[in-house]
This record gives sequence, C-alpha cells and structure tokens, in this order.
Amino acid sequence: MLQPADRVSCGGYDMSDGDFTVFIVDDDPGVLKALSRLLTAMGYQTRAFSSPRAFLADHDPSIPGCAVLDFAMPDLDGLQLQEALSVEGAGRQIIFVTGKGDIFTSVRAMKDGAIDVLTKPISYDSLLTAIDQARERDCQVRQVRREKANIEAGLARLTAREREVFTQVVAGRLNKQIAADLGTVEKTIKVHRARMMHKLGVRTVQDLVRLAERVDIRPQPPDPGPRPPG
Amino acid sequence: MMTDDVGLHPLWSQFVPPKGLLPRALLVGVAYFIGAEAAFLIGTLSDRIFAPFWPPNVILFCALLLAPRRHWWVYIAAAFPAHVVAEAGVGMQAPQYLVAFATNCLIALLSASFMRSGLFEEPWLGSLRKAALYILLVVVVSPAFSSLGGAFVPILGGGAMDRYLEYWAQWFLANALGFLTLGPTFLMWFSKDVLGPRTISIQRLVEGIVLAAGLVVVCTLAFRVSAGAVTTSYLPAVLYSPLPLILWAAVRFGQRGASGAILVVTVTSLWLTLNTSSFFIAGSPETNVLALQTFLISFSAPVLLLGASMDEARHAERAIRESEERMVFAAASANIGLWYLDAETERLWATEYCRSMLGFAADAPLTRAAILEAIHPEDRQATIDSIRSAARSGEDVASEFRIALPGGEVRWFRARARADRDDHGKPFRISGIFADITGAKMAEHEADLQRRELAHLTRVAVMGELSGAIAHELNQPLTAILSNAQAAQLMLAKDAPNLGDIGQVIDDIVLEDKRAGEVIERLRGLLRKDEGKRASVRINELVLSTLQLLHSEIISRRIKLVTNLARDLPPIWGDRVQLQQVLLNLVMNAMEALASVSSDRKIVTISTRQLINGQIETIVSDLGQGLGPEGQRRAFEPFFTTKPHGLGLGLSICSSIVGTHGGTLQLSNNRKGGVRACFSLPTECPAEATT
Repeated sequence: MLQPADRVSCGGYDMSDGDFTVFIVDDDPGVLKALSRLLTAMGYQTRAFSSPRAFLADHDPSIPGCAVLDFAMPDLDGLQLQEALSVEGAGRQIIFVTGKGDIFTSVRAMKDGAIDVLTKPISYDSLLTAIDQARERDCQVRQVRREKANIEAGLARLTAREREVFTQVVAGRLNKQIAADLGTVEKTIKVHRARMMHKLGVRTVQDLVRLAERVDIRPQPPDPGPRPPG
Repeated sequence: MMTDDVGLHPLWSQFVPPKGLLPRALLVGVAYFIGAEAAFLIGTLSDRIFAPFWPPNVILFCALLLAPRRHWWVYIAAAFPAHVVAEAGVGMQAPQYLVAFATNCLIALLSASFMRSGLFEEPWLGSLRKAALYILLVVVVSPAFSSLGGAFVPILGGGAMDRYLEYWAQWFLANALGFLTLGPTFLMWFSKDVLGPRTISIQRLVEGIVLAAGLVVVCTLAFRVSAGAVTTSYLPAVLYSPLPLILWAAVRFGQRGASGAILVVTVTSLWLTLNTSSFFIAGSPETNVLALQTFLISFSAPVLLLGASMDEARHAERAIRESEERMVFAAASANIGLWYLDAETERLWATEYCRSMLGFAADAPLTRAAILEAIHPEDRQATIDSIRSAARSGEDVASEFRIALPGGEVRWFRARARADRDDHGKPFRISGIFADITGAKMAEHEADLQRRELAHLTRVAVMGELSGAIAHELNQPLTAILSNAQAAQLMLAKDAPNLGDIGQVIDDIVLEDKRAGEVIERLRGLLRKDEGKRASVRINELVLSTLQLLHSEIISRRIKLVTNLARDLPPIWGDRVQLQQVLLNLVMNAMEALASVSSDRKIVTISTRQLINGQIETIVSDLGQGLGPEGQRRAFEPFFTTKPHGLGLGLSICSSIVGTHGGTLQLSNNRKGGVRACFSLPTECPAEATT
C-alpha cells in the first residue's frame, strides 16, 4: 500500500497543502486525468491542462508548486514549454514525463534545470521523489527570493546617506575612513551606521556582509583615493 | 508419272530429252500396240476393219495428259510405229492407217488439251462437275469431232460414201466407249489420288474382286444364257440384271468402282456379242454392236456420274470429319472440351476429352443435370444463370466454376456458351467449350499469395518504422491505468475512502485498458496475414483509425494534420487491412516528404469525397519538395525509391492493392508544392469478388 507524501518542512516556511500546487500538462486526456487524480490522492493541489498554450495562458508563477509536463505534445513540445517558462522568469520546477526515453532530449531538459525525466508508465516512487525534490527546490528558491525581497525592502528604506554608509561598511571601510570620504565626522557616521544596521535588522558587520552578498552587492575594492596621513 | 523438268535450263532441256523420257515413250508405244491388239482380240469385224472399242487412243491420251506439252511429239512418234504394225497386221492400207492415225492423234491431242485447259486439275475426276465435263468434252465433243476424219478410213478401204454417217457413228461410239470405260479407269489409277489411301484393306480388295467376278458371271449369264432362253418381253429385266452390282461398285468404291465396273461390263458384253451370240441379235453384227455400244454408253454415263457424286459426298464427309477431328484434337491439345446442349431434349453431347476432363466415364450418360451435379455447389447457381443468359442474349457468355472430380480433386473450368438459333431466332441448341483453367487459376492464386505476402512484409516493415510511435501509443493507456490504480490505492488507504470516487477510477481503468486493447487490435490487424477477405469498409473510419495509429508519429514529427472528410459517404467494398496499408503508406510518405521543410509547411491534408461517377476519392497531400521528373515517371515501379533506406515497394504495392479493388492510384505535384496522392475506389462490389 502506498503512503501519502510526507510533509516536508522547509526552513520555517509553512508547507501546508494549499500552498503547493502541481501543474499537470498532457495532451492525452486519459493520462492527464489519471495523473491529476494520483497527485491529488498523494495530497497535492493539482491543476490539469490539456495543452501547453492553455497552461502558459493561465500560469501564475507566484503560486508555489511544480509542473509535470509531457514531452511530446502538439503545438509546443516539452523543451519549448520549458524555455517559455524560463523566459517568463517563473523559476517553475519542472518534472518531465515521456513515453520514449530519448537520451538527447532528456539531457537537454536536465541541463536546463528540470528536476527529472520520468518514463511512462510512471513509477510511484520516482514520482514521489521527484515531487519532493521539486518542492524542496521550489521552497528554497522561494525562501531565497523572499529573503532577497526583505533585504531589498530594507535597503529601500535607507536614506541616501545610510546607503552610502552601507556600501562603505560592506566594503570593509572603517568609520573614520568613511567619515573622511563623506566629508563629515566619525560620530555622524556612527549614527548613520547604527540606523542603517537597525533598518536592515542586522547586528554585526559579518551579518551585514552576508546580507549584501544575498542581493549580489559585492564589497567595493578599497578606494584608491588619497590615503589620510598616517 | 509426270516428269517435271522445270529445274533444267530451258535451252538444254529442249535439245536433250530428260532421262526416262525415251523408255516411257517406248512403253507408250508398246501399250498402244497391245491396246490395238486387245481391241482386235475383243472383237474386230475384220472384214470391215472396225473395232467397236478402241483402247489405243485412251492410252495415247493418258500419255499426253501425263507428259509435259513439249514432249507430246515424242509420244506420238512412239505410237506411230505401233499403229502401223498393228493396223497393217489386220490388212489396212497405208492411206487408211495414216488417216486413222491422224484421227487417233487428234482425239488424244484434243482430249488431253481439254483436260489441261484449266477446267480440270488433279485429281482429274472426283467431283460431279469434273465428271460431267469429262463426259461432255472428252467422251462426246473430242471423239465426235475427230471421227469426222476417221469416218473416211472405211471409205478409203472401199466403203460407200453414202454410209459416211454410219462410219462416223462407228468411229465415234468406239472412241466414246473407250473414253467412257477405259479413260476414267486409267485416270483414276494414274492420277495422284488425294481422295483416299492408295493402300486398300484386304476386305476391300476381296470385295472388289468378288464384285468384278460377279459382274463377269452376271453379264455372261445375262448376255449369253438368256439369249434365246427368255422371251423378248423379259429382255429389259435381263438388261438390268448387272445394274445392282454396278450400283454396288459405284456406291461402295465411288468413281473408281464405277469405272471398273463399266469396264468389266463393256469388255464382257462386247466379247460375248461379237464372239458368240447374245440378245443383241436383231441385225447385222455391226448393228448389234452399235446397239450394244449405245446401251453401254447410255448406262455408263450416269453410273460414272453417280460414282463421282459418291466420291464427292465421301470427300465432303471426310473433309468434315477431318476438320472435326482436327478441331477436337486442337481443342484437346488446348485443354478444351467441346459440347453442345440440345435445348429441347436437354441431351448433351461432348467430346471424349470433355468427358474425361469433367471426370465422366466414356459410357456414362451425359446430361445437363449430371454436369450441374458435378459443379461445385458454390458455383452452381452462377453457372446456371450464365448459361441461361447465353440462351437469352445470343451473345457469348463465359463463366468460371469448380468441378469436383470423382477422385476428390477439385479443378477450375471456364465455360463459354453461345445459343445457336433457328430461322425464327429461337435458340435450339447451346454450344460451347469447357476449358481447364486450373493451371492458370493456380498461378493466379500463387501470384495473389505472393502479392499478399509482399504486402504483409511491407506492412511489417512500416510497423517497424513506427515501432517507437506505437510503443508510445500503447504506453499512454498503460500510464493512465497505472496512475489510476495507484490513486485508487491511496484513496483506499484513507480512513473513510469515498467509494464513489474509487468506482470512477476503476471505470477509467477499464476504459484505458480497452484503449490499449484497441491499439493492439489495430496493430494485430495490420500485422496479420490477410486472407483477402472483402467487406464493406467506410473510408472515413479507416482514415481516422489510421491517424490514430500514427498519432504519436505525427506529434513527434511536429506535423500538423488537416482532415477534410466528406460526410455520409457510401461504403466501399474492399479489404480493410490492405486499404489501411495504402492510407498508412501514403501518410507516411507525406510525412517523410516534410522532414526537411520549415515548420509552417509541415502540413498533411487528408480529404475524402465522392466523385460524379460514384467512386470515392481519397487524397493525401503534403507541402514538401514534390516529385522530380524521374519520380513522377517511376513512382510505381518496384524497387524505385528516393528514400535513403527505402525498399521502393510501398507505392508499387499500394498501386496494385488499389488496382485489385478496381480503382486507380495517382501521384501528382501540388500547385502549392508537394505531392498529391489520390486514389479512387468504386463503391460497389467488384465483379471479381468471387475469390
């Protein structure tokens, strides 16, 4: 007897049933119906589409989930659909399902980031594993994206001066140097720095650097400008 | 006997007598002499130097007739000394025998010229016409004319001039009798006889000898014993006594018998009349002989004509028999039996070969019913109908049927029949042939088997090409079944499973399983070796079924398929598997033609429609490269292919399949580019659906 999918927790992010949807696209109505039935019974939200175009037209990337796509479909085949989804920037996790194990297309699909290529008839275990994997990855991606969004929101709250201080601090400059650069006194920089750290919710410089890395703000190389007389 | 010198140089042959001429001339001279002596022996009224029956002229006539014209003088020269010796021997004077010789030569020359005039050809006698002409020209005209000279011979010997007419009559009758009796006999024996075999059976020989002996006896009895023994009132009866034997000879032996009998009667009666007393006793010997001659001539002529007509009838009969034999022989050699059926009595006549062909013993009664009984029950009604229609329509009707021979062997026959009609147009007889066509049927069957075998092999090959697509087609329902089943398992594992939902799942499983079964059934249909069974086929269903089979292949080739199927098409009569093979082949060809074109041209269109002539047309067209000139010319040739791994059999087999269905398959280039393959099939059951 099969067991329903285990609840996977994802770094404090709540994975209730309602939040994870499996999008199924297959031009064969029988297979489509059976797959969505199975995935529903496995405990997932499912949405079934009988053509790639219908799926694309209705697609909401913000809904957490993954897509189970048939490779061989009229109009758009699996690889084209994958491309279309990545252009959309949805970051949708994809599990391919194929009737014939074509190595070339499978390799391309995997290189382009597919979770797995499952051969029909689909083994329950591999489907389960693949969906778990997809959920995990989707979860991670979403978490990263959310954190980034938080950081960016924090950064957006910074004043221009605080932003300058942020950049300098991440670059490893001392308060004294920053003050000299910005033409002010060290005390003022300290105030800016404390406010900036508070707004971004970090306490140490290490946390601040890690945060900057998350949003791809690299420490600036040391300013090659005139060094203060030492 | 005739010497043909045509091969010699004309100049040379003029001066040098050909080999054998001199001995022959000598022979003629001797024969002439013997003939004259025989005439004198039979009866010369030596005191009048008169022979009532003169064979030498006939001998000379025969010699001239058989010799080439340019040698005639040789024979005449050879006869001259014989004439002189013979005539002088009976005391004739030179002027007499010279005139007699001239007369004899004139008779022979005239008669021979008549015979060679183109009115006759060999065999000289043998038909009523020739016999009549012979009597008129040779027996009457020639002696009558020549005797005008011959009548002077007795006058030169001292006869009175006022008896000229009597002398003429003597000469004329003597010669006429000779030509009437000896002439035909010689001609019959010397001429190349095409009427009958030269060799006579012992029975015929004995019959002939007995007949001749009987005639001698009867004549002797009639002419001699009766003389004086019977009263004058019985004379006609006595005169007729040889007639039965003569008629017998004429009827049994034709002209040869007639002339022989006449000769025997003539010689016997003359001998008797001249040497002893006979009932021709009324007057002087000359008058008696004259009367006898007249009697002999007057009965000989009709007998000769009778013999000739007997020969003619026999000849005609033999010609018919021979022609019939030739026909029967030819028919038997060609494996044909001849038959005819009397429409009224229903009696059937058939050649022996026909009987043995149909397995009837030579003595078994042959009736219409017996033949129909022998015909295979499945073919019987059709055969009866066909013969009936022959009787009705008056045209040749052919039908084919099987006959189970007594040994259990079944053979195929073709019968052709035609009604023979009387003057009122009413059929009185149906005649026809039976031909054994088992060999042809077997060959046909063999060829059909091979064609089907080949068609099957190419189907298998196509299936091989499609194996991936077919596996996918089968995989779909299997996938659905597995997933459905697993979903049901999960549903059942719940605390309170919803049985309604599970029921639906199971319904779907059944549905998908059926779908898988259909895929396999389609495959099996195509891979099966078809037995050529024909049935009603709906072409649109066939198109859709074929497209289902090709579904995955079409998708994986990224081809757009457009169907344009006419509604309410009448069904066609055909072999489903074979027709599907045609469709499959054409669609595969179309798809392959699209392998290297841009994706917006990857379109295959299939359309069906009914033509004005009632046929159903199916068109498969693509937008590929189209056919090159060579492809257009040779597309249906076996082993012609433009594909790198193609066998080149597909279209050739499709064409033959459509052909055996009574339709045509055509390939042409589309105006928009690409190939348009189109085949039309009749809706009705084709005539040859008997197999």
